[in-house]
Amino acid sequence: MLEIKDLHKRFGDTVALDGVSLSAAPGEVVGFVGANGAGKTTTMRIAMGVLAADSGEIVYNGAPLGVEQRRRFGYMPSERGLYPKMKTGEQVAYFGELHGMSKAAAKRSAAELLEQLDLSERMGDFVQDLSLGNQQRVQLAVSLVHDPEVLILDEPFSGLDPIAVDVMGTALKDRAAAGAPVIFSSHQLDLIERLCDSVVIIGNGRIIASGTVEELKAKEVKQLRISVEAAEDLTALLPGTVTRDGDDYLIEDGDDQEALRVASSAGRVTRFAYDQPTIAEIFREAVTR
Amino acid sequence: MSNQSAETSRMRGLMLVAGREIRVRGLSKANLVSLLVTVVIVGVLAALPSLIGGNEEDAAIGLAGENAPAMQAQLEAMGGFDITVYDTADEAERAVEDETVEAAVADGSLYSLDGVGNEVETKIDAAWQAASVQTNLANAGLSDQEIAGALTVEPLEFVTLESGGVHSTLDYFTGLVISIIMFMMLMTPVQYIAMGVVEEKSSRIVEILLTSLKPWQLLGGKVIGLGVISLVNLVAMVAVGLGVSAATGMLGDLPPGTAAAAVSTIGWWLMAFALFGTLAGGVGSLVSRQEESGSVLTPLIMSLTLSYLGAIFLLNAPTSTFAEVLSIVPPFSGIAMPTRMAITEVPAWQVGLSAVLLAAAAAGALALGSQLYKRSVLYTGSRMKLTEALRRAA
Ligand SMILES: Nc1ncnc2c1ncn2[C@@H]1O[C@H](COP(=O)(O)OP(=O)(O)OP(=O)(O)O)[C@@H](O)[C@H]1O
Ligand SMILES: [Mg+2]
Repeated sequence: MLEIKDLHKRFGDTVALDGVSLSAAPGEVVGFVGANGAGKTTTMRIAMGVLAADSGEIVYNGAPLGVEQRRRFGYMPSERGLYPKMKTGEQVAYFGELHGMSKAAAKRSAAELLEQLDLSERMGDFVQDLSLGNQQRVQLAVSLVHDPEVLILDEPFSGLDPIAVDVMGTALKDRAAAGAPVIFSSHQLDLIERLCDSVVIIGNGRIIASGTVEELKAKEVKQLRISVEAAEDLTALLPGTVTRDGDDYLIEDGDDQEALRVASSAGRVTRFAYDQPTIAEIFREAVTR
Repeated sequence: MSNQSAETSRMRGLMLVAGREIRVRGLSKANLVSLLVTVVIVGVLAALPSLIGGNEEDAAIGLAGENAPAMQAQLEAMGGFDITVYDTADEAERAVEDETVEAAVADGSLYSLDGVGNEVETKIDAAWQAASVQTNLANAGLSDQEIAGALTVEPLEFVTLESGGVHSTLDYFTGLVISIIMFMMLMTPVQYIAMGVVEEKSSRIVEILLTSLKPWQLLGGKVIGLGVISLVNLVAMVAVGLGVSAATGMLGDLPPGTAAAAVSTIGWWLMAFALFGTLAGGVGSLVSRQEESGSVLTPLIMSLTLSYLGAIFLLNAPTSTFAEVLSIVPPFSGIAMPTRMAITEVPAWQVGLSAVLLAAAAAGALALGSQLYKRSVLYTGSRMKLTEALRRAA
């Protein structure tokens, strides 16, 4: 269990984090979303010990996170970085060793990962000679090479083609299935919805919403959508606040049974259901509130 | 986690960084090619004296007449002659004519077809003089022992009144070589360290590195790695130089203190390198782009160059106050002291003081360099001011 507790961080006059808390249980994939400059990268950097917080703490399995434990974490920073003039295989293995693996184990693990990522043939090439997307895959390999206990990935999907997105998504799910807490940030909300068990939304350095995807959806203001094959306009007859979306009626704050009665007496009801908000809608709603 | 294993993992991190530096930079094609070129040049330079001055074949010389036995003794003592003794001057002359020998000495004449080389002529002349004196003395009735006594001369003993006041060309040359090598062995790795730091910073890789390494491991490993590369390069050069000299038989000409001077020079280099290397890493971390590294490195490059120029100046005035001060005050002492020690006798207290000061300065640089590095390595954007880096909380 990784817990980030009440982080505060200022850069000069800018308050980057103002009491940020979130947590990831073993096997849980947590999506971390928020507008540009909301504080995602800052939070993850502090969690990885690359940046010091003004206050707050990182707790891992009940105790403050130490340097040795953190070496068993996997991290992908938002600004990617690899040694341009080092061979791909050698580089991935080097990071394995830095994370405490033996030379042989690091070599083996690097070869396996690059095989999985379809990069076996590029093992002997300099990183600078790979395409950007392939460098990104190498970056993923670097964060996974030591079989990390925890994954913290800052926008791991940016710059990937659809196939690579699938590879990356599978890799995350695999780690989570193996019991690792996984936290990743992304602006691709469809991916968040598809991959995450829970979502944390941050805005201006504060957590503005968090919970499982279902919880968030349930919390959202519900809209009732009704399609009726009726000649007359029902806007005035239906209860609550009624708006039109194409031919559909959208109802807020109205009694649904009353609405059904009005609609069915007017004509054939072809659709009667609550809209499921997408994460994107929840996000927009949360951020603009 | 016990202290013991935390300690080993710390050392392991340091060594991994150093190892990567050695593998990637030391074994890079560029370094290997430049090393190969240098080694070949050094080898050729070392072989040059024997190629030019040369191991020519022994000169075949014929001797005849009264002085022949004495001449033979003299020439054999000098070496480089293949001597044949003839019964008569005519025989000796004929031997020159049919080219059995290059030249012949008989009854006070030197026979040759068209003259002999300068060197051979000088030697034969000297042998002739000595042999004649010997023969004359014997004719005057002196015993062999008396003759030997009369011809034995004690070589001049050199007494210098001002200590270290006089130095030989050889010492000057040794001092010059030491200062040049020290300068090169500091300049190159110092620039590589700064480049490496900026590379890691500009490529942003430092952010991942710092999740498993401490800043001091990252900086220290880099300094150690480049230090090892420089040492290996130097050792390769010296080994080839000495090896070629030994193979061509020129090694005997090295001054006797060379080995000791080499060892103590390495000690001075280690301290100076720790000083300049860690500072280079520290100031390198102030900038985010390779183009900007020149400007922050300037003070270091300047003081290195001044140290070198100072050492060259010192060679011509090793006992001046300037020389004494320069060889004691760090960072200049790093190059100046070993240079001065090569050319003149330096009082032990000055050597000690200089070493202590340089070691202290190196320790200070280590602390300052790693603090700078720690505080600014993650800062991106425009170049960071030195004062700002020092003010920032780590
Ligand atoms: N090194 C820094 N110096 C000064 N301000 C900083 C620094 N790093 C971050 N900030 C500020 O902190 C705030 C949070 O930035 P952060 O990078 O965490 O946002 P983010 O959520 O990752 O945004 P994005 O989606 O654009 O990546 C921003 O206002 C940013 O300008
Ligand atoms: Mg970010």
